Amino acid sequence: MSDIFKNLPTEIKKNKLKTGIFIGLSAYWGIILVGTFVSFS
Amino acid sequence: MDVFLPIAEVSVNIIAILSLSGVVGVLSGLFGVGGGFLMTPFLIFLGVPPTYAVANEANNILATSVSGSTTHYLKHTLDYKMGFMIVIGGSIGTLLGIWTFSYFKGTGKIDIVISLAYMYILAIIGTAMLIEGLGEIDKARKKIITKKKLHVHYWIHGLPLRMRFQKSKLYESAFTPIIIGLIVGFIAAIMGIGGAFILVPAMIYIIGMPTRLIPGTSLFVTIFVSVIVTFLHAFNYGSIDLILVALLVIGSIIGVQVGQKLGESIDSAGIKTLLAVLLLAVGIAIAYDAFFAEHATNEIVKIDVNNLNPLSMFIKKLSLEMPILYGLFSIVFAIVLGVGAAFIRRFFSNLRKKYSLKKV
Repeated sequence: MSDIFKNLPTEIKKNKLKTGIFIGLSAYWGIILVGTFVSFS
Repeated sequence: MDVFLPIAEVSVNIIAILSLSGVVGVLSGLFGVGGGFLMTPFLIFLGVPPTYAVANEANNILATSVSGSTTHYLKHTLDYKMGFMIVIGGSIGTLLGIWTFSYFKGTGKIDIVISLAYMYILAIIGTAMLIEGLGEIDKARKKIITKKKLHVHYWIHGLPLRMRFQKSKLYESAFTPIIIGLIVGFIAAIMGIGGAFILVPAMIYIIGMPTRLIPGTSLFVTIFVSVIVTFLHAFNYGSIDLILVALLVIGSIIGVQVGQKLGESIDSAGIKTLLAVLLLAVGIAIAYDAFFAEHATNEIVKIDVNNLNPLSMFIKKLSLEMPILYGLFSIVFAIVLGVGAAFIRRFFSNLRKKYSLKKV
């Protein structure tokens, strides 16, 4: 687990595209989940 | 160049509808999907209310499914027995879907439910395809070859009521296609789609059908699901607009032919990634429209039936006074257009073959 955190900055620099896609998808999923909750509450 | 839709009671631009349905048709032909999950959101963006967008797109899908299915029927690439099993489940699923649709319509939440359904389906499929597509491109670049198991067995393969499906050379439980059909029918009724993007992967990975029989069988199932959805929407809500259906069908049938030709020359991993990006983009647009965009309250304008042109007046009166006949007419209209398109395509295809033989 500590290895993952230790190597995270280098992995992000190596795979900027994958990191960007991951962040984008997470934001998208976050918005629709929050939006669903707000719509039905 | 606007046309007033007498049933949806909105004006739409003819060129916009024809172009969009043509583009969606090209994407359908290119990627091998129905396109319903793209066209319905596009109709909503153009100002067609979601309940009408769902119903009319289902009618459009009926026409394009009939067209594609006729072509496969002529080539004998259909497993009717498997198709009918899926249709049994699809019929039950569609009825449940229409009941759910009615429930949410009654509570006034149907518009947000349709938008949310699209957001989630597009997000799930888009994310899965993007990850798979990027993975394939990555592996191709690194020249990694992975061996996959030919068949993977799940709990669903152990269910009772096993039967032989001669055409697909399978011996498995009838509950498998029935359950899949149920899920597809339910989603199709709520979202106004054919369900092929769920059905096709299910046929490959869960049922294990041979690839050459899948497109034809999937289209065959979609016909029945679309018929039930179209009829129930026409009968329950009077939401089928024949003018809109005609515009959609003309655009999509032409687009599909172009898309199929283009698909013959493009790489599949690249196509998968592009389609994933498109699905996610449409999902984002629906999310923006549902959660952030300000919607001006539209004045409800009472339309005097006598002010409409004769065709619109006829459609409106038929829809109000004879909903069952109107529903049946919508179905027959879509089937005739679909079969006609299949035979016209065959005619031009034979003509092209004769012309190329003469040249040689």
